[in-house]
Amino acid sequence: MKAIILAAGEGKRLRPFTETMPKVMLPVGNKPILEYVLDSVTTNGIDDIIIIVGYQKEVIMDYFSTYEKGNITYITQDKQLGTGHALLQAENHIETPFIVIPGDNIIDHKSIAHLRETSSEYAMLIKQHPHPSKYGVVTIENNHLTSFVEKPKDGEGSFISTGIYKLPPSIFSDLATLTSQGLHTLSSAIENLLIQHIDIDTIIADTWMDIVYPWNLIGVNEAVMHQTAGSTAGTIEKNVTIKGPVTIKENTHIYAGTYIVGPVIIGSGCEIGPNVCIFPSTAIGNNTVIHPFTELHNSVIMQNTHIGSHSHISHSIIGQGTVIHPHFTNIPGPATIEIENEFLKLENIGVMIGEDTTIGCNTISEPGIIIGRSCTISPLTKITRAIPSGQNVM
Amino acid sequence: MKCVVLAAGEGKRMHPLTYTRPKVMLPVCNKPLLEWNLENTKKAGINEFVFIIAYKSEMVRNYFTDGSPWNVSIEYVNQGKALGTAHAIGTVEKFVDDFLVISGDTIFGSNDIKKMIKTPQSMGLVEVNNASAYGIVECKDNQVKKIYEKMTDPFTNIINAGIYHFSPSIFTYIKKTPKSARGEYEITDSINMHAQSETIKAVDLQEWRDVVYPWHLLDITEDIMKHYHFENKGTLHNGSTISNNIAIGKGTQILPGSCIEGPVIIGENCKIGPNCYIRPYTCIGDNCHIGNACEVKNTIIFNNSNVPHQNYVGDSIIGEGCNLGAGTKVANLRLDKEPIHFISNDMRISSERRKLGAIIGDNVQTGINSSINIGSNIGNHVIIGPGRVINGEIKPNTYLI
Amino acid sequence: MCGIIGYNGYRNAQPVILDGLKRLEYRGYDSAGIGIINKKLQVHKQVGDISRLIDSIPSFTGTIGIGHTRWATHGKVTETNAHPQLNTSKTIAIVHNGIIDNFLELKNHLQQKGYVFQSQTDSEIIAHLIDEHYHKDFQDAILKTIRQLRGSYAIVAISQKDPDTIIAARNESPLVIGIGDNENLVASDIPALLKYTNRVIYLDDGEICILKKKSVTILDSAGTQKQKETHLVTWDVRDAEKAGYPHFMLKEIHEQPHALTQGLVGRISEINRTVSFHEKIERLLRKPIQKIHLIACGTSFYACYIGKYLFEQLTNIPVQIDLASEYRYFSPKQPDAFVIAVTQSGETLDTLGALRTAKKTGCQTLVITNVIGSTATRIANAYLLTQSGPEIGVAATKTFTSQILMLYLLALKIASNQQTISSDDLYHTLIELRELPREVRQILHQTEEIKTLAHNISNSTSLFYIGRGINYPLALEGALKIKEISYIHAEGFAAGELKHGPFALLSPETPVIAIATHDKIFDKMLANIGEIKAR
Repeated sequence: MKAIILAAGEGKRLRPFTETMPKVMLPVGNKPILEYVLDSVTTNGIDDIIIIVGYQKEVIMDYFSTYEKGNITYITQDKQLGTGHALLQAENHIETPFIVIPGDNIIDHKSIAHLRETSSEYAMLIKQHPHPSKYGVVTIENNHLTSFVEKPKDGEGSFISTGIYKLPPSIFSDLATLTSQGLHTLSSAIENLLIQHIDIDTIIADTWMDIVYPWNLIGVNEAVMHQTAGSTAGTIEKNVTIKGPVTIKENTHIYAGTYIVGPVIIGSGCEIGPNVCIFPSTAIGNNTVIHPFTELHNSVIMQNTHIGSHSHISHSIIGQGTVIHPHFTNIPGPATIEIENEFLKLENIGVMIGEDTTIGCNTISEPGIIIGRSCTISPLTKITRAIPSGQNVM
Repeated sequence: MKCVVLAAGEGKRMHPLTYTRPKVMLPVCNKPLLEWNLENTKKAGINEFVFIIAYKSEMVRNYFTDGSPWNVSIEYVNQGKALGTAHAIGTVEKFVDDFLVISGDTIFGSNDIKKMIKTPQSMGLVEVNNASAYGIVECKDNQVKKIYEKMTDPFTNIINAGIYHFSPSIFTYIKKTPKSARGEYEITDSINMHAQSETIKAVDLQEWRDVVYPWHLLDITEDIMKHYHFENKGTLHNGSTISNNIAIGKGTQILPGSCIEGPVIIGENCKIGPNCYIRPYTCIGDNCHIGNACEVKNTIIFNNSNVPHQNYVGDSIIGEGCNLGAGTKVANLRLDKEPIHFISNDMRISSERRKLGAIIGDNVQTGINSSINIGSNIGNHVIIGPGRVINGEIKPNTYLI
Repeated sequence: MCGIIGYNGYRNAQPVILDGLKRLEYRGYDSAGIGIINKKLQVHKQVGDISRLIDSIPSFTGTIGIGHTRWATHGKVTETNAHPQLNTSKTIAIVHNGIIDNFLELKNHLQQKGYVFQSQTDSEIIAHLIDEHYHKDFQDAILKTIRQLRGSYAIVAISQKDPDTIIAARNESPLVIGIGDNENLVASDIPALLKYTNRVIYLDDGEICILKKKSVTILDSAGTQKQKETHLVTWDVRDAEKAGYPHFMLKEIHEQPHALTQGLVGRISEINRTVSFHEKIERLLRKPIQKIHLIACGTSFYACYIGKYLFEQLTNIPVQIDLASEYRYFSPKQPDAFVIAVTQSGETLDTLGALRTAKKTGCQTLVITNVIGSTATRIANAYLLTQSGPEIGVAATKTFTSQILMLYLLALKIASNQQTISSDDLYHTLIELRELPREVRQILHQTEEIKTLAHNISNSTSLFYIGRGINYPLALEGALKIKEISYIHAEGFAAGELKHGPFALLSPETPVIAIATHDKIFDKMLANIGEIKAR
């Protein structure tokens, strides 16, 4: 059986982090989301994988050029019209039933196994969701799909489609007809199957998480890190305390007096300490420097960043290549954030900083602030509003 | 008849010991696993071998050359990418007629191999305590009906031992073998097809030991030592106490005050003692030093490593070129006596052993009075500073200072 | 450039050759072909890339064969012009990469003898020449043929009359022999062989190789047998993928940030304020250093030129730079010099020669290279790895930047050993070095702008690079890259030197690329640019 992974999308709602990489390459637990999807698929012995790429495809192909667990074929979708159109690109590569998975979510391998093993020709993974209004909401009867409604206004707590399906190759002719009518999504193909009274098995997924907004990275990061066992590499000085599952990669130097409580992942080539405190669910990317007396909680720190001394970062995302000068503090707390003309309320969120931004010393940021890519913030600034990419704040 | 030996695997689950050597070159009683198989197979009457190699193939090639030191002939086939056992065996089609296949990382007895040679179109079976991690074999009237891949709740404890006697007709089925759920071409799938049209005989084996995780080397060493031919070629100084089941290599000196309780194997040019205590089932390689006030128990020490001053090492494996600092000790028993866990490649595995010390890779150095906790996994070239306490998985090249 | 492969062994040759061709596709892809012997010679050719060949090919059996992927030089892209090229009786097949200079002369000679030519390629003459010389002995026919050829070639030939032998010959075009078990291969490049073996022999100019299933014999052009060293390839097939880029060179340009990061990892510590290398280099650098000689060839030489500026700025040690090919024969006999050789592959013949000369003189030697286990690492007292990952593209890109970084790190280390740099300056330099990968990444984000600029100058017949100080060698390297890749005539000049002659060459159509960074001579550079604009 082959698996098709949809990874062509840009993920506009995840800006600024997706300005230079596709959504599926955003890191959680120091690995791109897409790698978790690939691992779940290959753990099931599915090693013929087709990835539909488009936006910033080189980033994906570069990273996975060293992927050992499966054979990857890339197909380019030149215009990102929709998931159905994306899937249609793989038509010539498929002769037998296959599995299709969006590349921007986390799915456990057992759920994939259930989908693979079902005898039904058509099957889908579903999951109960507290806020289903952004998804395709499904109703089921005896594990069969009875209705499918895209983005309904209400329906709290109902089941939604994860976008993961097992389908026969005959779906391609349906997709071709639909796309010629201007219907480019995979969901419209599923709705169409229902109209034709085709039986679709529904299987409840075990673990499924998707990434829609930047802060989802923090939650998903936390969830994936709880599965690590921890290992030590690099140089660890005296009086470094390590508790719980902490993974430290090669060539990283942890200086004396640093206190780390797992789950924590620290990439390779980092310098941390002396006397830094890192608390649970923090992932630190490769080649990052954390200066003395800084404290980190529940955050995603991407690679090549530089965090000055006496800083306090929690519930936050720091993009790659960002430099933060000493005494930066972000205040975590409740916030309402505007993304693509939508207002979203969050209970506890820190700051989200895009790549290659420089933050001056003694800066403070309020909860839920998004700072763009390549910004420069002067020292002693109090950041109270979102800052678009490329801006200098004096 | 030729014997094809599957010797291509890296054995990732044997890390850190297989970072620098293929699995089949791991030493058991100071001889590579593969050499035991070669000798046992030769004893059973086979003189022509085909080794299928890939990972660190030059080590196998350099050690076994063309086979002349063993008076056998060895041909090599490079498997290239590891695509499964059926793929590996498929590569030798041009070299064999009726042939024997053995897994190079499992030790078989020569009587069993003899039985296999005498039974054309057959496979070896063995009974184990817990079959769930192996291929389960359904038999009827001494014939193989079907092989099932790993089952959580197996209906029998009879498993596939990894030794086969094939006729060239197997290649027809190998060519038809589809990829398995694991994404590999597996010989068991080829055999299942073969068994539908022809008879595959079942041969019950008496001796069988496979090696999956590092501590299995301890088990296999213990097994072999029970029937080992012990010879003393070294020098015993006055005042040493040794039992009679001890093998000592050429040039090795046992200094005064050493107490050795067999079975124990000591390699060549070692310096043992003075005043050390070596306990049963310990195997020490060449050019090693066990020094004053050291106790070593049920441990494998590879070549060129030292346990020199005031050390305790139990139920452990120490790689090549290691040196323990004075007072470094290895714990081997949990205080709550529970089975010991081992972390390998970021995954937690139960060793199902009540006693397990450390698995230490090559060129590891420890500082004075460092303590190594139970089930530690220490990679190659790790340096451990004085007084450090070591836990869990330590990746290669780590400095704990 | 073309890609060629030959296989002689026990496997079915067709899939081996097709897979190899796919891995050589970066060397050319306008047409491709394959020839396999199973008692009779079977040939299939196709215009287009390898996938079209794969789609159209009938299934040939046979365990010996050759393949070719072509980038047309002589003759149009047609099926007839694709390789393998055959003799008239279709018993001999050859694949060829290179250009035969005396092809017209040989063609006339063959036509007079009655040979009829099918294709417009220069390569076809090789098949006919072999045919002409082939009486009993295949090997003899090849030897006689190559003695008549002038130009560059890598040739792989098979003959139906000798169906167990492949013969390969090389002159100025790359060819590698892969030593397998009961199988041997030959190809233009290593990635095509790696699936089957990691033991290779590099053929040198004028050598020919007889590949049997179980043996490989190397002969010189006189036909005398030679012993050659077998090398072990340590990298992997997976490292050699193009990852979505149209060619390796572009991929490797984009790998610069990563390569630089790898070069810095574990070598600089911002918190300890140190640069550190492995113990062997540290020991070498602790000795007093009176003078430094930097030696290299080609692009690496320009890296050394930049290194000279860096060393002289940061330390008080005089630095001399030498081309390896010169140093080899005209070395200053100065045993107190510390010699640093720079070679990407660690196999550059002139650089190896220079290293040996330096050692013989009694110098301490250090080599900066990208390939662990290469010959250079075995000759020098110590080696420093650039850690940039395999470079497959023909032109040096990421390895150049990595080499400069290594030289910079060495200069910093020596400066801090000799206390010619303050701890503060060192600290700031280290912070800036850490940010270097990100700066490079930001430049690479400007791909579109760079593309437009490149397009504007792509029709020029001649162009100039100018720079001052550390940017002067960079101007030289820029010109070298243009020449190597686009075949446009290019020169690099020190900006201050323009008025002493080169001005005369400038015309309004000549693009001049000025390398002007915000350094202390930025104003002078602007003045130079002004001078040019005025012309």
